[in-house]
Amino acid sequence: MGVIEIRGLVKRFGSTVALDGLDLVVEQGEIHGFLGPNGAGKSTTLRILLGLLRADGGSARVLGGDPWADAAQLHRRLAYVPGDVTLWPGLTGGEVIDLLGRLRGGLDERRRAELVERFDLDPRRRSSTYSKGNRQKVALVAALASDVELLLLDEPTSGLDPLMEAQFREVVRAGSTDGRTVLLSSHILSEVEHLCDRVSIIRAGRTVETGTLSELRHLTRTQLDVELAVPVPTELVSAPGVHDARLDGHRLTCQVDDGALGDVLARLSPLGIRSLASSPPTLEELFLRHYDRGGGREPRP
Amino acid sequence: MNGLGALVRLTLRRNRWFYLAWVLALGAMVPATAAAYETLVGGLAGDGALDLMAANPTMRAMLGPPTDLTTPGGFTVWRVGTFVATAAGVMGLLGVVRGTRADEEAGRTELLRSGVVGRHAPLTAAVVVGLAACALLGLVVTAGMSAVGEPVVGSLALGLGVALVAASFVGVGALTAQLTSSARAARGLGLAVLLAAYLLRAVADAAPQHSVTRGLAWLSPVQWMALARPYAGERWVVLLLPAALTALLVAAAFALESRRDHGSGLWTVRPGPDRARPGLLSTTGLAWRLQRGVVAGWLAGLAVLALAMGSLSGTFDQMVREVPQLAVVLQRLGQGTDRLVDAFFVALLGLVAVLVAVVGAQLWERLGAEEERGHAELLLATAVPRTRLALSHLAVAVVGSLVLLVAFAVLLAVPESVSRGDAGPVGSTVGAALALAPGSLLVVGLAVLLHGWAPRLGWLVWVVIAWSFFVVWVGSLLGLPGWLVSLTPWDPLPALPVEPMDWPAVLLVTGAAAALMALGVWGYRRRDLRLP
Repeated sequence: MGVIEIRGLVKRFGSTVALDGLDLVVEQGEIHGFLGPNGAGKSTTLRILLGLLRADGGSARVLGGDPWADAAQLHRRLAYVPGDVTLWPGLTGGEVIDLLGRLRGGLDERRRAELVERFDLDPRRRSSTYSKGNRQKVALVAALASDVELLLLDEPTSGLDPLMEAQFREVVRAGSTDGRTVLLSSHILSEVEHLCDRVSIIRAGRTVETGTLSELRHLTRTQLDVELAVPVPTELVSAPGVHDARLDGHRLTCQVDDGALGDVLARLSPLGIRSLASSPPTLEELFLRHYDRGGGREPRP
Repeated sequence: MNGLGALVRLTLRRNRWFYLAWVLALGAMVPATAAAYETLVGGLAGDGALDLMAANPTMRAMLGPPTDLTTPGGFTVWRVGTFVATAAGVMGLLGVVRGTRADEEAGRTELLRSGVVGRHAPLTAAVVVGLAACALLGLVVTAGMSAVGEPVVGSLALGLGVALVAASFVGVGALTAQLTSSARAARGLGLAVLLAAYLLRAVADAAPQHSVTRGLAWLSPVQWMALARPYAGERWVVLLLPAALTALLVAAAFALESRRDHGSGLWTVRPGPDRARPGLLSTTGLAWRLQRGVVAGWLAGLAVLALAMGSLSGTFDQMVREVPQLAVVLQRLGQGTDRLVDAFFVALLGLVAVLVAVVGAQLWERLGAEEERGHAELLLATAVPRTRLALSHLAVAVVGSLVLLVAFAVLLAVPESVSRGDAGPVGSTVGAALALAPGSLLVVGLAVLLHGWAPRLGWLVWVVIAWSFFVVWVGSLLGLPGWLVSLTPWDPLPALPVEPMDWPAVLLVTGAAAALMALGVWGYRRRDLRLP
């Protein structure tokens, strides 16, 4: 049974449909990437999982409970970092960490000290003087220092510098090996690629793709970069399964559907392959392809 | 100064309702007082009763020095002039901080400054719009006073005086917005300056005649309108003082803005504790921490009002012996009792009960602000149930407003108790105040109900409060129909000690308030959280 199980979730704000039958399953102990463009419904989903908003349809279970009816009990076992952290301007960072920790049911003092150190946070400063990144650190320390089973993180590193981002990845990965489950909504694809075991991609309130990164890549194309002994014959550009081909004398770069890879290589080898590099598609390429497909933008050639 | 025109239009658009509300409320109060002169004062003018009241140090401290009370214009300057000038100063101060530090703190100015907008353009736009609002208020006052038949020259002096006093505080706000890095602190600092100016002139005006202390009034910007003597031989040259002060403060603000970084103030924010004290670590502890400044501010204001009014009561008997007509006015305001001190206290407690409802509603509405700022999201994502969060804010609102009401009653009655050497008046005044408390709680209950079920209709609470103020202040004087006047939350409650105690009414209103609160909290549990 999944830590998070969402089936056919629907949420409307007036006449706007924010979630339109969203499905999401997050298994125990995994770090699950939650990807989608702005306005796709990521934050709305997280807020329904927290019982801050009430779903209009479908079902959602968190840690085996009903996120709306059992909110307060469930929240002892999970921690949340919102995408845009706003703090009380007159309170210091240290006070906010202590407050949020206590209201969640207690902080691990050793971890708190370690995280404050690691994120290089000055807990004596008033929240009004913190930058966006520092406010995020306060919420992250409060969340990560508590002993919880599930972390819900909404673009948690959007304000952090690369050094702090690396610290964040390390802490989350360490937490995951301790058996913690993480749902990580993010725009930073390299972060998701590095951290996540499985990924769900949503668009316009629906899940369009879900699975491990290698599963997702299987359904897709491979990037080829080939140098031939002879000038590349132009008919290769229109061969079945070849996309985005670029010819440059002896050089061909293109994307090939995984199913057509054998055929394409069979046509290339008689021509004399001097060098060949193939790489799996990056998450970014997957991501872009999903949004381009019927997403209102022109489809890629 | 690139982009100034566009910024002025933007500032106007974002602040038009703010300024219009202030200008209309303050601008209407002045001619309304002049028009009510006959009703308010009646035949008292000729008998020296008013002069006696005006010579009373407490009255002088509250309202300022009277210049000429025999004409509606002169009376208006004394009765509401200094108050309106001071309140207009609040408008100028808050308005300019809204347009400068508040926007800068929220990051909106950064967006503008990154466009083709000069360093000083946002400050210039806020000052220009603030000064324009002051000028508009001056115009409304002048036109209004002229329209009710007062001399145009005096009306111009009054309007110009009010506008220039307000303009000085546009300057104060422009300056404090450079000093602090938070809008809250800039407002607080500016309001402290304003309060100090008001207290300075209160001390000066209450001092005995020919005492040197009286001269201190010249140092208080809020006094300069009155010192220009509208309707009583205008001294125009005095008005150069606020004009010069405004120019000086605005110039200083520009100079300081050149010397600081965007987003920071000239004063750095002191660091605080790195760990939270145990008292903060609960939703109620947090609610109190966020609201204690509001409660303390109201407590200070109400304490000054209570002591001033309480000490005034001691001089009643003497005043009435000399001027019997005064008794008639007081009795009309105080439900027709014979004992004048009682009548006075009843009228005052009725007013303060509405003020306390304002505090209660304001304290409760913090919960809505917590939602809109995203703070409630952080709290409710922890193991805090919604009911607990709502009850914490409700507890601060209910306890805070009741404490203020009781404190006011105690301080009001202390001078009389001391002069009679008897604790009786304190007890009976506190009792009278508590008999009105259910009405204040009913207003809070309405606010809770609306927040739970229809948060967008929260403004309805302020309609009820505004109507109640209107009824308490002028309802009995204007002779409105009884059913209309009775449409306030306090109407069913007994006005002790003039009326007998009415337990069923008190319990009924208390029960209604509790029911509204319970219903509202239930609704709050059921609805979507409001999010930024």
